[in-house]
Formats: sequence, C-alpha cells, structure tokens
Amino acid sequence: MILNYIKIAFRSLYKNKGYSFLNIFGLAIGITCASFIFLWVEDEMSFNKDFANQENIYYVPTNQNYEGEWRTFYSTPGPLAQDMKSDVPGIKKATRSSLEERLFAVGDNTINRRGRFADEDFLDIFSLKFIEGSRAEAFVNPEAIILTQETAEELFGKNVKALGQVLKMSNKDNYLVTGVIENLPKNISFPFDWVAPFERYRDGAEWMTEYGNNFSDTFVELSPEANFEVVDKQVRNLIATKEENTSDYAFLHAMNDWRLRSKFEGGKIVGGRITYVRLFAIIAFIILIIACINFMNLSTARSEKRANEVGVRKAMGSSRKRLITQFISESLMLAFIAAVCSVLLVAILLPQFNLIIEKDLSLGLTNPMHIFALSAITIICGLFAGLYPAFYLSSFKPVEVLKGIKATQGSALFIRKGLVVGQFVISIVFIIATILVYQQIQHVKNRELGYDKDQLLSMRIDRDFIPKFDLIQQELIRTGSVHNATMCNSEILNGGNNGSGFQWKGGTDTEDILLSFRNITQSFFETTGMKIIEGRGFGSNVDADSTHTLVSQSLAKMMVSENESAIGKIITRGDDVTLEVIGVVEDYVYGDVYASSGDPVLFLHYPQYARYMFIKTKDGVPVDQALSDIEGVLKKHNPAYPFEYTFVDDAFNTRFKNEQLVGELAQLFAILAIFISCLGLFGLAAYTAEQRSKEIGVRKVLGASVTAIVKLLSKDFLKLVGIAIVIAIPIAWWGMNNWLQDYAYRIEINWWVFIIAGVAAILIALATVSFQAIRAAIANPVDSLKTE
Amino acid sequence: MLLELNNASRIIKSGGKKITLLDDINLTVEEGEFISLMGPSGSGKSTLLNCIGMLDNFTEGNYQFLDELVEQMKEKQRAKLYKEYIGFVFQAYHLIDELTVYENIETPLLYKSIKSSERKALVGDILDRFNIVGKKDLFPTQLSGGQQQLVGIARALIGKPKLILADEPTGNLNSKQSEEIMQLFSTLNKEGVTIIQATHSETNASYGSRIINLLDGSIVTD
Repeated sequence: MILNYIKIAFRSLYKNKGYSFLNIFGLAIGITCASFIFLWVEDEMSFNKDFANQENIYYVPTNQNYEGEWRTFYSTPGPLAQDMKSDVPGIKKATRSSLEERLFAVGDNTINRRGRFADEDFLDIFSLKFIEGSRAEAFVNPEAIILTQETAEELFGKNVKALGQVLKMSNKDNYLVTGVIENLPKNISFPFDWVAPFERYRDGAEWMTEYGNNFSDTFVELSPEANFEVVDKQVRNLIATKEENTSDYAFLHAMNDWRLRSKFEGGKIVGGRITYVRLFAIIAFIILIIACINFMNLSTARSEKRANEVGVRKAMGSSRKRLITQFISESLMLAFIAAVCSVLLVAILLPQFNLIIEKDLSLGLTNPMHIFALSAITIICGLFAGLYPAFYLSSFKPVEVLKGIKATQGSALFIRKGLVVGQFVISIVFIIATILVYQQIQHVKNRELGYDKDQLLSMRIDRDFIPKFDLIQQELIRTGSVHNATMCNSEILNGGNNGSGFQWKGGTDTEDILLSFRNITQSFFETTGMKIIEGRGFGSNVDADSTHTLVSQSLAKMMVSENESAIGKIITRGDDVTLEVIGVVEDYVYGDVYASSGDPVLFLHYPQYARYMFIKTKDGVPVDQALSDIEGVLKKHNPAYPFEYTFVDDAFNTRFKNEQLVGELAQLFAILAIFISCLGLFGLAAYTAEQRSKEIGVRKVLGASVTAIVKLLSKDFLKLVGIAIVIAIPIAWWGMNNWLQDYAYRIEINWWVFIIAGVAAILIALATVSFQAIRAAIANPVDSLKTE
Repeated sequence: MLLELNNASRIIKSGGKKITLLDDINLTVEEGEFISLMGPSGSGKSTLLNCIGMLDNFTEGNYQFLDELVEQMKEKQRAKLYKEYIGFVFQAYHLIDELTVYENIETPLLYKSIKSSERKALVGDILDRFNIVGKKDLFPTQLSGGQQQLVGIARALIGKPKLILADEPTGNLNSKQSEEIMQLFSTLNKEGVTIIQATHSETNASYGSRIINLLDGSIVTD
C-alpha cells in the first residue's frame, strides 16, 4: 500500500513539475532559513557550557545606588573574594580577578594578549587542563604565569616546551611559565590567553585590600550541596558587615546566564542577548509556518485535479482514513525532499551566513541532535502542511466529484485566502522592521558624538611609554601626517574609571552621583575634537594643573543654577581631593552609544595614569602613509612594542554588531518571507487562472479586453494584500515601538515607512499575479472553451 | 434474491425546494440478471445506480441487499459490503492517470488488503482474459477510449463482485468499441455476474435480460 502511495506521489510530482518545484522549493527555503537560525541559536546557547563545575560557578557583581537608581557593576572590592570564602558557608572557592591586556616578549617576538590576574582558586573554578606543568605547582612561584597552548606556541614556537621558560611582560617584568593549558573552548564569554598571580598585579597597593574601592572581578564556586538561595542571601548581606555607610551589595550571577542574561536594570537581570535568541527562534518558526502555508494552499488549490482521483478511490472501496494516510504520506515525502534540498542549501550557504553573523558554525550532520531536529522539522512540516489538504480532499463525496461538480467552494476558499493574508501580514511586518532597524542604526551612527571619531587611532600603552610621550608627540606631528596626539586612561568609547563621593559648594545631595574620570594630557581636546564651551583647557605644566579640572556640561549644570558659571567652583572628595573647575566641556557620548549621554565627566591633567594613546591623522593624508609614518616614529622610540592600533570609528561601528545583525537578518528574512509568499501566490494565481479559464474564454468571446481580464484576475489578490497591510501596520508599529524603547537615543517612527512597505507589498504581489493573469488573458478562448 | 427496493425514494432539498429524484421505486433484482435502465436525461438512471451502489442514499423506503437492510447499516459496514460485492464501471472510465493499467486494476485489491502474491495472480489472470497483457505498463492516457473502458471493467471485476453497476459504459465510445464492451458484459453475465447498466441506446439495452424504463424518477415500465 505504502509503495503504491509513494509511486503515485512520485508520478504526480513529476507530472506537475512546476507545482512540485514551487512547493518543494518554498519549503526548502523555509527549512534552510530555520536551520540557519537554529544553528545560531544553538551556538548562543552553547556558551560557557564546557566547564566541569559550570552549574556552581558564579560571577559576583555589585549593585550600587546612584541618584536613587540601582546600577550593576562587575567590579567589586578587593577583599570580597577572600571574605566570601571565609564568611559564607557553601562557597567552596573564590578568586579576585582582573582582565588586562599585556605585552609579552620572548626575544624579539612580541605580542599583545588579554589575560587575567587571579588567585589560585581561579585554576580550580574553571578546571584549567594542564598540558605542561601541573595544577599543584602552577601558582607556587609568585612570578608564575600560565599560558594557553595557542599563546605558548606563538611566543615560543610549535613543539617547543614552554614550561620553565621566561618571558617579559610590559617590557619590564620577568615571568616564569609554570604551566601550559589546553586552549579554551571557542564559545566562552570571558576568554583569556594567560593567567598570572593577583598579588604581583596588586604590587603592594593597599587600596586594593580595602572596601570602598571597586576594581576587581570576583568569581566563586559553590559547593555542590550548597543552596543557592541561602548563599545568595548571605552574599547580599556581606558588604554591609564590612563597610560602614554603604548600600552597595554583592550578589551571585550564575555562569549559565553570563552570555544570554547579563543586562541589568534597577539591580536586576532584565534579559540580554536572550531577547534576540528568542526573537530569532520565533522568526524561524514564523518562516516555517509561511512555507507550510504555501504548501497547504497549493495542495488545496490543486484539489480539483485530485478530486476525481479521490472519487475513484472511494468508489473502489478506499476508506477516508486511507485517503488521509495517502495524502499525508505524500506531503511527508515532499517535506523530506525539501529537507534534503535544504541540507544542500545550508551546506552551500553556510560560509556566507558565517560571514554575516561572524561565527564559525558548522552543519554538524554527525550530531544526533541535528539529525533529530531536522527530522522533527521535516515531519512536523509534512504533517502540518499535509493535514488540512488531506482532510479536505478526503472529504469529497465520490458521487459529486465524479459527476464533475466543482470541489473548490466555500470554506476551503476562505481558508486559502486567510492563509495568503497571513503570509503577507508577516512579510509586510518584516519589511517595516527592516526599514526601521536600518533607520535606527543610521540615526545613531550619525549622531553628534561630541568628538570627532574619524581619522582617530587608538592604541594601548604601558607605563614605560608615558615619559616618552612628549617627544613622540612632537615627532609624530613633525612627520606631517599627524594632526595631534594625546593620552587618556580609558578608551574614548568606554566608561573607564569612575567614582562617587564628590561634593561642591551649593550642591545638594551630591555624594551619590557617579562621575567618570578622564586622566588626560593637554592635547586631549585638540586631538579628539571635543569642545571646551567655557573657560580654558589645561596648561603645559602638569604640576600646576594638579588641582584643576574640567567638567562636562551635564556636571556643570548640576553644580550651578542656570545663569551662573561653573568656572572657579571647587569640587572636593573627602579631605584629600580639592579641584578647581577651570573649564566646561560639551557632553560627549561614551559607553552605551544608544544612551542619551554618559555620566558626568571630570577631566584631570594626570597623564601618568594614561593607558591609551590617541592619534589624529591629518586631513588629506592617505591612511597607508599616515600609518607607516606613525609606525616609524613608534618603532624608533618604543621598539619593544608591536604596532597595534584600532580606528575609533571602526570600534564605534562594532558597537552596532547586535543591531546590525538584527538588521541584516531581518532584511534577509524579509526577502525570503516575501519570496516564499510570492511562490505561493504565483501558484495560486496559476490555479485560479486555470480554474477560471472557461470564464475568461467566455468573457473574451463577449468582447472583454486583455486589460479588463488582467484586472479581473489581479483584483482579488490585491484585495487580500490590502487586508494584509491593514492588519500588518498596527502589529509592526507595536513591535517596533517596543524595540525602540530599549534605546534612549532613537528615531521617531515615520508614517511613510508604512506606506513604502505597503506599496512594496502591492507591487510585488501585482508582479507575481499579473504574470499569470496576462498569460490567461492572452490565451485563445477557443482552446479553453473546447475542453468543456 | 440479490437486492430489493421497497417504496424507495430520494428527495433532496435545493434552494429551499424539495426535488424528488427517485419516486417510490419498487424493484427486485435476482442474481444473474442483466438489467438495462433506460430513460431520458434527468430521469433518475444515474441516481438509482448510485443509490444501489451505496455511493448515495435513498431518503425513504427500504433497501435490502443480500437480505440485509442497507439504511440501517453504519457507514463502515456499508463500505465493506459494496467493496465485497459491487463493482463500478463509469462512462468517463475514471482511471487514475498516475497509475499504470496494471496498478489501476490492482487498486481495489489493495483496499481489500489482499496479499501481494495473490494480487499478482489475480491481476495477471484478468489481464490475460481481457487480452491486455501487453498494455499493462502503459498509463491510461496512452490508451484509446475502448481500451480504457476495458481496463475500467477489468478493475470492476477484479474483486469478484456479484453485481456490476455500469453508468453509460459506452457513452464515450464509438459503435465498434461499444459492441465489444456489450459482448463482454454478455459473457460475464452468462458466467453468473449480475449487471445493471444505465444506457440511452436501444441496441445496448437489447443485450440485457430485462429493460426498465424510468421517467421523472419513477419506473414507467419493467
């Protein structure tokens, strides 16, 4: 029996090549799309999973209250880790840790690598796997360093034993390699290339052992039997027992949430990447549904042709159940063929997709999970798409269909129209989303930042670089390629250091305002293009400026009333800091590029704390030339350092990665959704034309023009698209308005976006339908009338 | 007695009006009869055949088939009954285009869940008997009308029915083909198969043992 079904299914597919192609191709694209999304989702979900103690590992962020608002930071007081371990039962391991980028040198071989200074427990918490050396002896020597295999090979060469060798960090400190560990899994949210003891990093600094200063990360591991709720509660109370007059508290953030749920608002997790993971998973299902709808529509539309077969089979003694089985197995077979096609498509297109999402996903056909998922999708699609046509077709009464009564009536037609409307609603929502996401990204990219990010290079520097800066700056300018250079303690895009507890005369309740510090050189404003709107900048004498500060406009507004000047005001912090305001700087955007603007900023003339150098190249100088000039100067004065830099505008653009990804994928899915919908529409139009061929013939004989007939045939479909537009607009508006709420700096939704989307949908539908309509209209009526 | 109709009628509603398709039919069919139903278009020939074939129902009266009351049966029982005892031949042949001659003939056996080896033997026999072995792998569209109807009859016969219902079996055929088909019916009838055919043609009707004339849903002469 099954064989008979398969046979007839194959022949029927072959006989209706065009229809089969539309059906299989549409579904294949749907499955391909869904596969891509699911691969991406799988990858996102797989983050931080390859650790033995994963279930028990926690980050310890702190919540701090500023201006009545809880804000979450990953930086914690230095002694927190040790105190958690000794005071809170259930915490098995705890480590301080600080993520740093450092220069390493072995002979002439120099590289910059990110890594962590940490306590010994770090090695156990993350179960580092030693290839050379051992866990027991790794941190015995205070000058020890552990490298990942990859880093060791880069420094010492392949197949060279790194253990016991010495390398130079930051061009001054010698470290002894006491271990080489396996490379970390690709999907972790806290990659590091090396680990070295925290104590040497602390270097005797007392403030690092006191509460009140938040600077290091804290990681802990709970005992397997510990109760999370209990431990978390104790951790939340801990800081209050150690430090007076603070509302700060620490809490536990589970490793499973690091990647996907790491967005905090009001001191609580409110989501994070998980939003996008969910969104895309939903989109995957929607696309599958669109593809299945096609399938249902085309099958039902074709039912007239098959009605006769149903009648004959019923008269031959087939039960309804058997017919249902037959039609469902047919649709399963189609789904299976589509699945095979989509596997091929995925294999072909995966490299492109990887480029878009900047990942390295693989098809993983040997992964049982993938096979299972693909089979599940295939079967569900086959059933979902086949069920309605199967029940519909099998319900025909043999007497009626054998007599030649039209099978397409009433409910089937209504459902089919409904499905087409559904498809177009989804397509139009996608079109609108694509436009709005693109607009929002452009809006933020083009926003007034308060500084000039173009032609601005950023490079990390170490302490020994700072004394040479003045000389290097002069030589850089002398090359003719460089406009100016400056140093700062943080990257221009980032938040950098901050602190609270500042007071000024006349101000109220100023202690809980969080200020960011910028330790800069005199040339900072000149180089970055930030504007001093009142007062003056720093002078050339660092010592003379030690009690001077410039403040950002937002801070100035807090300090004084509207018509008053902030210049000359004094800012203090306890007894040891007294600063006189000498200038006001226009607010600039840093940290979250979507926020209205960053926290208020204090600019200080303390170049000795600089960690980054910024170089502005001259207008009109080719980038290559500027770079080689800069490299020449730096190599001369700073030969130990590799010439590594980033362009600030590039770095700025990477801030949009998530949004860009959403935008690009929305665009891709919009195109595919429309394409699949059009495949369906095309098929439907073809069948409508065929079904009405007699009517068209009669009309033509009676004198109807080609245009009149094209209009007649297209009108019905356009009506459906029109309904879809009406339904889609509120949905799109609601969804996108919600999405935009996440961004303080955002676009207004323009009504013309909806018009564009609507017109686009109508044009696309018209193009699809009119092809069939014209074909039907120009056919010779004699042919269509003869067949009756 | 094969079947018996007592005061059987079929009345349907169409647009709020009652339409009487079959009016108070009384008919007894014995095994081995060859009955021709005659009458103008719309006289109820096809409806009567469909009702006897259980594809349609009488709305009033009694229908006994092999001493069982059909109207009291459940859908399943009825299907079982006609699968077992009745074969259909249609004017438009109604072969399944996607299946070969062999597969078309085999289809009713599939629905009777007969084993593969037995199916082979049965289909082989009937192909032999109808002299269409050479055509068994062709598709219906590759055959002439007469040949298609031959296949249709072969398909109706494959389940060894007691009764064959033929609705204008030669309506789409030329006279030579018609004669062949009617000869075949004659032969089958002599072998014991009961046949009821609806026809317009006096010539075809003359092959039968009994002629029933219908007009406006009633039997005029028997």
